[in-house]
Amino acid sequence: MNRLLNKTLLYYSFFATVILLLSAPFIYWTMEKLYRDDVDEAILLRRDEFETNNRKLLHISDIPVWNQFNRDTRILPDTVKSSPKDSIIQQIFYDALVPEWEPYRVLYKDVAIEGKPFVLMIRLNLVESDDLIRTIAWIYIGILFALLLVIFFITRFVSNRLWKPFYDTLHKIELFNIELHSLPEFSETKITEFSQLNNRLAKLIQHSLQSYDTQKAFTQNASHELQTPLAIFQSKLDLLLQDNSLRKEQVIILHSLYESVSRLTRINKNLLLLAKIENNQFAELTSFTVNDIVKEVIPYFTEQAESKKLAIEMDLKSVVSLNANKVLAEIMINNLLLNAIRHNIENGKIIVKLEANSLSIANTGLGKALDSHTIFERFKKNSADARSSGLGLAIAKEICDRNSWEIQYSFEAPLHLFIIHF
Amino acid sequence: MKILIIEDEKELSENIAAYLKSENYVCEFAATYHDAITKTGIYDYDCILLDLMLPDGDGLKILEELRKENKQDGVIIISAKDAIEDKITGLKLGADDYLPKPFHLSELGARIYSIIRRKHFGSSNSIQVNELHVDLLAKTASVRNRLVQLTKREFDLLLFLLGNRNKTISKAALAEHLSGDMADMLDNYDFVYSHIKNLKKKLMEAGCNDYIKTTYGMGYKWET
Repeated sequence: MNRLLNKTLLYYSFFATVILLLSAPFIYWTMEKLYRDDVDEAILLRRDEFETNNRKLLHISDIPVWNQFNRDTRILPDTVKSSPKDSIIQQIFYDALVPEWEPYRVLYKDVAIEGKPFVLMIRLNLVESDDLIRTIAWIYIGILFALLLVIFFITRFVSNRLWKPFYDTLHKIELFNIELHSLPEFSETKITEFSQLNNRLAKLIQHSLQSYDTQKAFTQNASHELQTPLAIFQSKLDLLLQDNSLRKEQVIILHSLYESVSRLTRINKNLLLLAKIENNQFAELTSFTVNDIVKEVIPYFTEQAESKKLAIEMDLKSVVSLNANKVLAEIMINNLLLNAIRHNIENGKIIVKLEANSLSIANTGLGKALDSHTIFERFKKNSADARSSGLGLAIAKEICDRNSWEIQYSFEAPLHLFIIHF
Repeated sequence: MKILIIEDEKELSENIAAYLKSENYVCEFAATYHDAITKTGIYDYDCILLDLMLPDGDGLKILEELRKENKQDGVIIISAKDAIEDKITGLKLGADDYLPKPFHLSELGARIYSIIRRKHFGSSNSIQVNELHVDLLAKTASVRNRLVQLTKREFDLLLFLLGNRNKTISKAALAEHLSGDMADMLDNYDFVYSHIKNLKKKLMEAGCNDYIKTTYGMGYKWET
């Protein structure tokens, strides 16, 4: 992930470099032409100078002396035929001083000295193209560097100023927590887009808060409303059972009705419990150890475990102290233990282990792993067990989330393992 | 024994009354806060069943009023709210018990029985059923002065049965009674059967008549 500012800078730098690189050959060509033209002009000037100032005064006997002192304006014998006359050409000469082959602009011109024909050669040293390219390259690097530096500071300055409201909004949304129920207050901005963004966000958040509240209230109200009809249902069954004329089949039907109504009651209670946890109705914190809770609740499960002939192994050597809501911690541990019993097999086993800051409950059961993604979702039942409310693990997860504990499921044949990291 | 049922759900209060009628309990009804205040102001009851959510007022106010007048009626709160705070406030205000809806009538019966015994017989609280003597304070049972060794569960079970004499109690109600707060965790009711079996055996070995009858293995009854 890249920050917006970095991304902008990257683009600017990239395009600046590309544009500079593309323009380099053009600049090279222009500069070279400019320089050549200048040199050519100088050559022509010298030619005119020679014509007006030197030619008439020069004697043939002076020519060797002249050539000796003028390396670049020489008078050659008429024998030079190969080169074109009266136009400036480019030639390479060996410079013994450097020593190197150097490019020159050269003009050959027929001149008459004391009536005899001679050839005047005027030449001027050009800068080597290597040197030119090197110079241009250095200039470019300098420009590029300066440009990037300027781009960097300008972009940073502009972006920070321009995007300030955006980052401000972003920060506030990050802090927003639907459970805390506080509508974030966005700062005023004069930029239309940002102000639009803030308005839309504020509306969206308000809507979410509303639906969140409605949903929470609905679950709780629905569960409460269901209690009374359930109570009537149950009491009718209790009355019906008092009828002495009931036949065996009727009692069996009645019994299955009892089971259904207690399952209904269970689901309803669990839904209500979830709603209460979500509504932060278990806010009271106390200090306790997980060891105590496990020791307290285990006896309640032994009867259930005995009917399946389960062996419960406990390793409670480490002491795990918590500062949390004890009722919720008990509910969570109960749910996990019940889960371990309910989905166990005959003669299976359960291993409860406390380690530094973690509680693990492992049980034998189905021979294959369960879907670890959906296992903690509400009403996602992995077994056809009619007695399960489908909410036990969802409640355990919710309690973990509330306390920032982490609950994990894994399958290490033949054990299904639930670990809570406190 | 007079019982006042303060409950706005007519159907439920009638069911409760029908269940309690045969126990020599006389039930009266109050469906509103106003009605309840009037009745509790005039009469004394052995036990009051109090629903907290009444159409015209808060049930807890009735409780406050009762305690202000220093009335000693036993009060069982029956509430659909099942909120811990309600339970705590209710018990603090002097309610004797708290029973969240929905409940088994046998559970209610046992609790009413226990409260009435406590209110009326105080420190010498014991039950005599023919040859069986149950000491509620010492939590012991004896048959013709011979102590019967009962586990805590079996003693609970015995009391529950005695609190619902001649009533068929469903296995579900017994299971939920025995597991208390863990009732939600029940996987099967089979353990009820083994407890009943043990209790029956111990009582009969001590020379007690077999009063515990089963209804097709689905319900149990203390028949005297």
